[in-house]
Amino acid sequence: MSHIRKNALALTAVAALLAACSNSRFVGNEEYGTDNQRELILRQTGGDPSASGLVVFGVDRSRQNQAAAGGGSGMTVNAFLWRATLDTLSFMPLASADPFGGVIITDWYTPPAADGERFKATAYVTTRQLRSDGVRVQVFRQVNQRGAWVDAPTSAATNSELEDRVLARARELRSQSAGLR
Amino acid sequence: MRKILLGTTAVVSAVVGAAVMAPEASAQQAPTVRIGGSIQAYWGYIQQSGQQSDPGWSPTTPIGVPGGTGGGAASAPTGVNGSFGRLGKHDFVTIPQFSVIVTGKLANGITYGGNIDLTFNNQEGRAVINRNVGVSRSAPAVDEAYVFIAHPRLGQVRFGDEDGVMGGLMNSGWITGFGTGGVFGVWENFQTRQNANRTQTAPGGLGDNSKIVYMTPQFFGFDFGASYAPNFGSMGQHGCISDAVNTFCDRAYAFRGATDAAIPVRGGELAARRNEWQVAARWRGNLAGVGLSATAGYIGSGTALDMTQTNRQVRTLNGLDVWQVGVQASYMGFTAGASYLWGDLNYFWGNTIRGSRTGEQLTAGLSYTAGPLTVGANFMSGLFEGNAPSTFDVNTGNVTQNATAGRSRMRRWGLGVGANYTLAPGLSLIAEYVHHSIREQGTDQDVGRAGAQNRGFANVFILGTRLAF
Repeated sequence: MSHIRKNALALTAVAALLAACSNSRFVGNEEYGTDNQRELILRQTGGDPSASGLVVFGVDRSRQNQAAAGGGSGMTVNAFLWRATLDTLSFMPLASADPFGGVIITDWYTPPAADGERFKATAYVTTRQLRSDGVRVQVFRQVNQRGAWVDAPTSAATNSELEDRVLARARELRSQSAGLR
Repeated sequence: MRKILLGTTAVVSAVVGAAVMAPEASAQQAPTVRIGGSIQAYWGYIQQSGQQSDPGWSPTTPIGVPGGTGGGAASAPTGVNGSFGRLGKHDFVTIPQFSVIVTGKLANGITYGGNIDLTFNNQEGRAVINRNVGVSRSAPAVDEAYVFIAHPRLGQVRFGDEDGVMGGLMNSGWITGFGTGGVFGVWENFQTRQNANRTQTAPGGLGDNSKIVYMTPQFFGFDFGASYAPNFGSMGQHGCISDAVNTFCDRAYAFRGATDAAIPVRGGELAARRNEWQVAARWRGNLAGVGLSATAGYIGSGTALDMTQTNRQVRTLNGLDVWQVGVQASYMGFTAGASYLWGDLNYFWGNTIRGSRTGEQLTAGLSYTAGPLTVGANFMSGLFEGNAPSTFDVNTGNVTQNATAGRSRMRRWGLGVGANYTLAPGLSLIAEYVHHSIREQGTDQDVGRAGAQNRGFANVFILGTRLAF
């Protein structure tokens, strides 16, 4: 049996290396199972284990967490859509992000494979609910003509494709946050 | 193109990750220390076999766990004058718990913290342990107590008393999010153990022990984990107060009576399990809007040697050697799942005696949530080694099969149906019904009744409320 354990441990070690070296996502404590009765009850009843209870020392960050989840006064748009939009547009440099108004504006970005053109995107998260019409993305394109950037039309499908990606990512975040309850 | 970007980002992150061990890392904010807890209060109506017995036994006799492959002798009623007593069919059960939760974050992205969970749920309570020590059911006991350090790219390490990666942290397919958990819920608190009528083969039944756990970040939907514990003892250095090795010392790799410590004995803190390894691989994602989770894992261990015969150390027990797979799916408020485990284990997550058959268990469940209401059902069906089908002779090293035919198989199954209604975040009302039964040919499952009863059962109906804060 020892060889099975060694193989299993080796696989785990390889997995850890892969996790460190490739596209990885942090796994929060709420995504692991537990037999802690307090946490089980809070998960079952929609409570937040990280925000419940009495803070006896330190800063109560539950308000910040509530704001991040869109349930407080800090954020007025859906948190899943907001995070999904940030994730989807993260390959472009970010110019500004306003979580109160739900507006994300990227800076101009030139793909390595296309030196003669550059893109800029503006995204609007418009609802507090996780709805398919809750996000709108507008992509702007410019081409380089004799050293000067000139506006150029984008494909009509580009905006909707990006919106679809945002929605898919939001759904993924939603299902992951609801996992193992 | 984007893959290149992401790859580059990962490389940069790996470099940044290497810098997290820099000694100048400082706390971005002071840690938050939070006190929380839960109170559960239930009324239960119990119908079970073993509800009547002749009261002619002495409470000073050690009470073990009958029906297992170890753990001390059963205290069989001794007929005195033909009289017998019955157990009441109603009871209230209260289960309080306190938790201290510490969380903090460093400027370099590392999150850290710890948990101390104090429970007041010592099962039967006034069981007489080791002839002279009585334990109140309301006596506090530490459940989990661990420190964690987590990095976004390198994963998380937990060190302390905690469930392992297959002991509840990364399992899939166990549907317990309704009622109190159905057949894996609190019904066990309402019934007595005459028939060893328990479902300890839930993931958490593997038991907490002091261990180190590592879990990777998620990448492409996968995350992995491994954990190691040197022995079964909670808190470590359990019972090792002198240089005389014995059952009570969790570090003893050989001691007299190790065979009887195959399952947790003496208050649930001791067993012959040594060098416990767990590994798990989990995938989560969604296909066509259906949230999916699947886990495959393994639990293995060694075992202490039996020194009952003078000058001999005999390996009388198998190590744990358990594989488990599970899947679950969620869609539109429905969650369905199933899990199957098999290998060398008995129904108590204990080591089996050499020569014993392997154990196996299938569980499946379904729940549905609509607004504040969740309803669900789950069942388990298991086949395990029976009640002492064979005897390991520590003098000769032989396994001798007992004469009674059919004593090598214990079939256990249970069904739970329940609902919970959320009144407020943290507060819910509970209704639940659980049936559980054991069948084993040739073994008396109810010694309080005339003749050999090959079947023991329990029906428990529960109403109650629970609050977490």
